[in-house]
Amino acid sequence: MIQLTNIEKYYANKGIKNYVLRLVTTTIKQGEFVSIMGPSGAGKSTLLNIIGMLEEPTYGTYEFLGENVTSLNERKRIELYRNHIGFVFQAYHLIDEMTVYENIEAPLLYKKVGSSERASRIADLLDRFNIVAKKDLFPNQLSGGQQQLVGIARALAAQPSIILADEPTGNLQSAQAEEIMELFKKLNQEDGITIIQVTHSEKNAQYGNRILHIADGVVKEDLAVLS
Amino acid sequence: MFRLNLKIAWRNLWKNKIYAAINIGGLALGLTAFLLMLLYINHEESYDTWSSDLQNVYQIREKHEFFTPDNKDHWQEISNSRVAGIIKQNVPQFTAVTKVDSEWGNGFSVKIDHADPILIKAIKDADTAFFNVFPYKFIQGDRERALKEPNTVVLKQSLAIKLYGTDHVLGKEFKLVRWRDDKGTPMKITGVVADVNTPESVTFNAISHTGDQDHDPDQPGSSHYNQVYAKSASKVDTLAANNSLQKVYIDYKKKSFAEQNINFKDIYKDGKRPGLKAIALKDVHANPPFAINWLTKLKPVIGISIFLLLVSIINFVNLATAQSVQRAKEVGVRKVLGSYKKQLVSQFLIESALQSIISLFLSIILIEVLLPAFNHHFNVELSFWYNDHLLMLMIQLVALFAFVTLLAGFYPAWVLSNYNPVAVLKGNYGNSLKGMALRNVLVVFQFIISVTFIIAIGVMQLQTKYISNKDLGFERDRLINLQTGYEQNFADKIRRIPGVQYVSTTTQVMGNAFNNKSEIIYKGQTFNLNGVSVSMDALQTLGVKLVSGRLFAKEYKQDTINAVILNEAAANLLGKNMVGKTYNKVNYDNKIISFQIVGVIKDYHNEGFDKTVLPTVYKVTKLGGTSNTNNLLVRFETKNYKGIINNIQNEWRKLYPDFPLHYQSMDEAFSNVLEENNRFMNMIILFSAVSVSLSLLGLFALSTFIAKRRTKEIAVRKILGASNVQIVNLLNKSFLILVIIANLISWPIAYILIKRWLQGFAYRIEMPIFPFLLATAVSIIIAVLTVTIQARKAAIGDPVNALKYE
Repeated sequence: MIQLTNIEKYYANKGIKNYVLRLVTTTIKQGEFVSIMGPSGAGKSTLLNIIGMLEEPTYGTYEFLGENVTSLNERKRIELYRNHIGFVFQAYHLIDEMTVYENIEAPLLYKKVGSSERASRIADLLDRFNIVAKKDLFPNQLSGGQQQLVGIARALAAQPSIILADEPTGNLQSAQAEEIMELFKKLNQEDGITIIQVTHSEKNAQYGNRILHIADGVVKEDLAVLS
Repeated sequence: MFRLNLKIAWRNLWKNKIYAAINIGGLALGLTAFLLMLLYINHEESYDTWSSDLQNVYQIREKHEFFTPDNKDHWQEISNSRVAGIIKQNVPQFTAVTKVDSEWGNGFSVKIDHADPILIKAIKDADTAFFNVFPYKFIQGDRERALKEPNTVVLKQSLAIKLYGTDHVLGKEFKLVRWRDDKGTPMKITGVVADVNTPESVTFNAISHTGDQDHDPDQPGSSHYNQVYAKSASKVDTLAANNSLQKVYIDYKKKSFAEQNINFKDIYKDGKRPGLKAIALKDVHANPPFAINWLTKLKPVIGISIFLLLVSIINFVNLATAQSVQRAKEVGVRKVLGSYKKQLVSQFLIESALQSIISLFLSIILIEVLLPAFNHHFNVELSFWYNDHLLMLMIQLVALFAFVTLLAGFYPAWVLSNYNPVAVLKGNYGNSLKGMALRNVLVVFQFIISVTFIIAIGVMQLQTKYISNKDLGFERDRLINLQTGYEQNFADKIRRIPGVQYVSTTTQVMGNAFNNKSEIIYKGQTFNLNGVSVSMDALQTLGVKLVSGRLFAKEYKQDTINAVILNEAAANLLGKNMVGKTYNKVNYDNKIISFQIVGVIKDYHNEGFDKTVLPTVYKVTKLGGTSNTNNLLVRFETKNYKGIINNIQNEWRKLYPDFPLHYQSMDEAFSNVLEENNRFMNMIILFSAVSVSLSLLGLFALSTFIAKRRTKEIAVRKILGASNVQIVNLLNKSFLILVIIANLISWPIAYILIKRWLQGFAYRIEMPIFPFLLATAVSIIIAVLTVTIQARKAAIGDPVNALKYE
């Protein structure tokens, strides 16, 4: 599904190249649950951003679903966001002025899903995540864990094939974190959604089935998780 | 999507209530000023548009020097009455031509049966063709026959109802008394026409047909002046029509001069040409013969109101971009959810649209509230809802709305939609300096406008003070003008009333000055002076100041024959020590008469301060010259002359029972002269107040935002030991620089603009420096106060709160 070949990312500063990523080559298949780990500043988030096409690599090629997407025009990239990629953020990034319901609805509106279809999908998600009672509340009226649930629901609304999560439990207490990770695991195993997450926690990484260890912009280890 | 965006826009406004209020309120202020202007322009543009048939109606203008304020040739609205006949005979494009008398004096007296006489303004005398040229709708009577007979009158519906309480007045008669000792003419009402819904340049309450306008004077040397209007069957080529008008006019002039034994070339020499032209009725209002037209007069005000609208839009842009940081996260999220940039731009445009529509409604409410005061102040009748061009107005409003929304919304929308999601979602967008330079430029721009206004107000105040305290050259208190001619019997009677000091007449006094050219020959040189006829004690009545020689007096037999008095302007023109000298004048019958100068007086003012006092020669004519000067001056011995006026009134009633007395005090005449200037100044003050408050709103909001944006910096500085005062100063400094730059730029701008304004006055102050200093001080003080209020809040905050989110 994802094929990265010799991905490099550096910032040139006064003639000196500061590498963030060096010669990253890896393949991620449909249905995998990959955790990217590593110390602060290792380049985890940059790698995830490149996979999410939020940043462009300075060098190398990136194929998504067999198509070269290394540098893509805005229109095509947005089409991919609408149909294939869901984002989950550490700070949730819900839109403060929208209710829970409207937050989940937003990607569907962009995707131009019909209103009855929209209503049933949202109802389904609310039901599934047990937040029906919260649908008319605004994000600041929810706990962190609840906000992240909404964030995930929103990412799932457009029925993406892959979810990119940047430290999804970084701001959560451990009980809530566990709940979120269980949810990810279930989504991966039952719905077959590909998940790539960046995490600091070895424990969270164990929920997936593959771990990429990165240090100083280089993939040091690529391990399978034994369940 | 649209509905959701609208909902979010609303929630955002609600969340940032203060910003939103400032934004919307500021925009509403700017819009109000602009809309008032728009209404006024619409009103002025709507002159003479009440019927489509008026497109074929033209006013005839003749170039001549009679009745002018400066005794020079002008294209005038009043023409020699013979012009009408010439056009009728020689210019076939015009199918109907009518002559209308101009309005003289303060109105005519209308006496119905035995009721008290009422003074009615604008009863104009016309020939039979008036309603063939002007397509007024007849409610009663018949267009063709109404003015056929002499001594008939057609009333406007409003006057009919005022006089009789009904418009069914056909066949009724009233007595029309046109001056105080007019015997009166019984007039038969033969028609009632509907009032029209747009302002007219040919205003009238009634059109009478006495027969006076039917014939031209018999003597070729004497002429009668009135307004001439012509109607064409279809649209005419004005250029061609004017060529043929000019041609027939010159032919007529040559013929007429030949009859009077005058050489055409003697009169029209040195580039002076006779002239006759037609101008379309709709252009008449925009081209008054002497004054500058309303558009030119209004240009600075139009400029100002556009500026104000711009300032408020600038505020809007400024605040919206400043605030955009708050929305950055939303933009980032929306982008990764799959929103096109286009969609984001339109979303933010919807938000601006929402705000501008609210502002528009607010300003409509404001206008409803302000309009009566505005109308009163500027002496117009504007209305918003009862506007006859409501549809047009609505189209203008929609256009304005679209314009404001795009102008105010596009830049913020563009900035917002350009946020890079990675940067935004990582959370390090707040410290970006993007757009800061632009915002600074905008703040400077606003302050330039405000400071310029403050300086302008200062200078205008000083100039106004100067002219209202200026020595007029005559004493204006205890002096009234009865606005009637001099009549010996009546004058003697009121002279005997206790408390009356002088009674006299002159052709020239503030409020009613009639200039008359007087060509004299002194030491072989010809001079053009302004000639004024006075009665013996007129100059004493006015209380003018004698420079040398003496004033006219009964004791000198010579004074009614060949004694004259000059004003200083004329004396300076002729030479030094003029008292006792003589000059010559060629009389109408080519005899040379010699006059002796017996005195020189100080210049005194008859008109506004924009005009210099003309070099003038004063001459006593028998009894005070012509009886129809329409100025009867009465000077009282005491300031409390109310009772004395009652006595005058009683004498008047005995002599002239059919004509009401009308008078004006010289204080009133003087304030009328000042009125236009005061009006302009009040408008400038109003606009400046709006402009200054807009700038302050902008500064207030921007400093709030900056303080917020620098919260972290402030917190760090506090931890490092900065005091609150130091922090307030820190924030003030950045704004102070902007305000000082603005001051530096606005000084020369204000200087140039105000210099030009002052040059419009013949009597003016030197450019003062004080208003400049004052404006700078005021702008700095208010800027510091505004910023300090905000900075203080930021400074006394707890640094822990600011830092823990990082």
